[in-house]
Amino acid sequence: MSDGGKQSGVDNESSSSTKKKQKGGDDFGRSVSRIAVAQICESVGFQSSQRSVLDTLADVTIRYICSLGKSAHYYANISGRTECNPYDVIQGLEELAGSAQGFSGASDDNRCLSSSGVVRDISQFASTAEEVPFPRVIPRFPVVRTLKTTPSFAQMGKTPAGKHIPDWLPAFPDPHTYVHTPVWNERNTDPRADKLEQARQRRRAESSLLSLQQRIACYGAAVSVPSDNANDSKGKQVAENNPFLVPPLPYDSKQVSGVAIPKYDIAKKRFSVLETFAPAIEAAKAGALECRAIERRSLPSKRAPVHFRIGVDKKSISVPLSSGVLGNKSDSWFLRDDQKDDKKRRAEMILKEAMENPQELIQL
Amino acid sequence: MNSSNEGRHDDEAALTEFLSSLMDYTPTIPDELVEHYLGKSGFQCPDLRLHCKARLSAPVKDKSKQPKEKRLVLTMDDLSRALREYGVNLKHPDYFADSPLTGMDPSSREE
Repeated sequence: MSDGGKQSGVDNESSSSTKKKQKGGDDFGRSVSRIAVAQICESVGFQSSQRSVLDTLADVTIRYICSLGKSAHYYANISGRTECNPYDVIQGLEELAGSAQGFSGASDDNRCLSSSGVVRDISQFASTAEEVPFPRVIPRFPVVRTLKTTPSFAQMGKTPAGKHIPDWLPAFPDPHTYVHTPVWNERNTDPRADKLEQARQRRRAESSLLSLQQRIACYGAAVSVPSDNANDSKGKQVAENNPFLVPPLPYDSKQVSGVAIPKYDIAKKRFSVLETFAPAIEAAKAGALECRAIERRSLPSKRAPVHFRIGVDKKSISVPLSSGVLGNKSDSWFLRDDQKDDKKRRAEMILKEAMENPQELIQL
Repeated sequence: MNSSNEGRHDDEAALTEFLSSLMDYTPTIPDELVEHYLGKSGFQCPDLRLHCKARLSAPVKDKSKQPKEKRLVLTMDDLSRALREYGVNLKHPDYFADSPLTGMDPSSREE
């Protein structure tokens, strides 16, 4: 007997799980019997079978077991018993088998049951046949789930509401399940205090944003502005402190220290954005120094040397934004190649804004 | 009467022997399955040996089906023939039709 190309156990289970419910509720038993039947077929010698064949055989097996139990129970009942005997089972077997094929000794009136042909067949089968145990462990089914019942009055320890209610009945549900009490907000709302709090939070956010912008302007190409922090109104404050919206300082109005350029490569093909806007950057730095005094931020008295990286094939782009934020002063101008385009775009945008903004300021 | 009493003793001995021999055998059909279906049909018995007996009888029936083909694929055809010997009449439809008009004469079919 070969194990063949059909995986009887696995196939049966997977196909039974995808089958539609036909009888409904008995699927587990049916699929289990299908597996068993497939195993029996395999042990007989079949290598494969049609799916409907297995279903039919499983159905036949189930019906056989049911009718066997029914007839055995019937024989027990007519003998005046409720529990079945082996003899009842034998008689049931005889009834089932006898209706179709017959067995030896059927026509004998006084036959002895234990020497009936059926019993002999079974014992012969049991002794000679090869054991093929069921491949899976099956729990007792159907699984009985204990229902969670509502506890009675006595179990809860409560006395029922009225004298007419016995205490072994299930208790009433808790009042919160059926009584709806509206939920009020206990907190007193003070609109004035709320508004003040809101304004305070906005001011704090603004100041942090402003400080960020200042830091950017310090290392960036933007023009700075002397900030006026005394003003409390929101919109005007932002506009006035915005370094990009302030006209640039005229040239030579501020004395700045010279920048020590350590070195740069002679072999340069393109101009960096930094180089082009170096005067603007210097002016911004100068302005930033002034406004910073108000903000009470510490700045170096001497400006750090500015390193330009000039590549042969690649565009070198200033990185005023991120490095300024990060606080790197000396090596802030070196960029990684993969960020160059992004930074260049941003720098150009800021410069454009700075140029345009003097016109906007007039509107304000 | 006496002879029948003696006969009964012999029977009991033979039966107990048979039942004990049953316990050694592990049939393919699992015990739980048989228990479930026997319980469904009203079979009440504390003795598990009768379960075994019921289990055994089912595959005995199955096993005696004879294969009719060389290639040993069990088809509905073989099965219906084999089951008819046991008194089970099985009629399996050859195909499924989409509509009642399938297979009818095209001229008489109204599209």
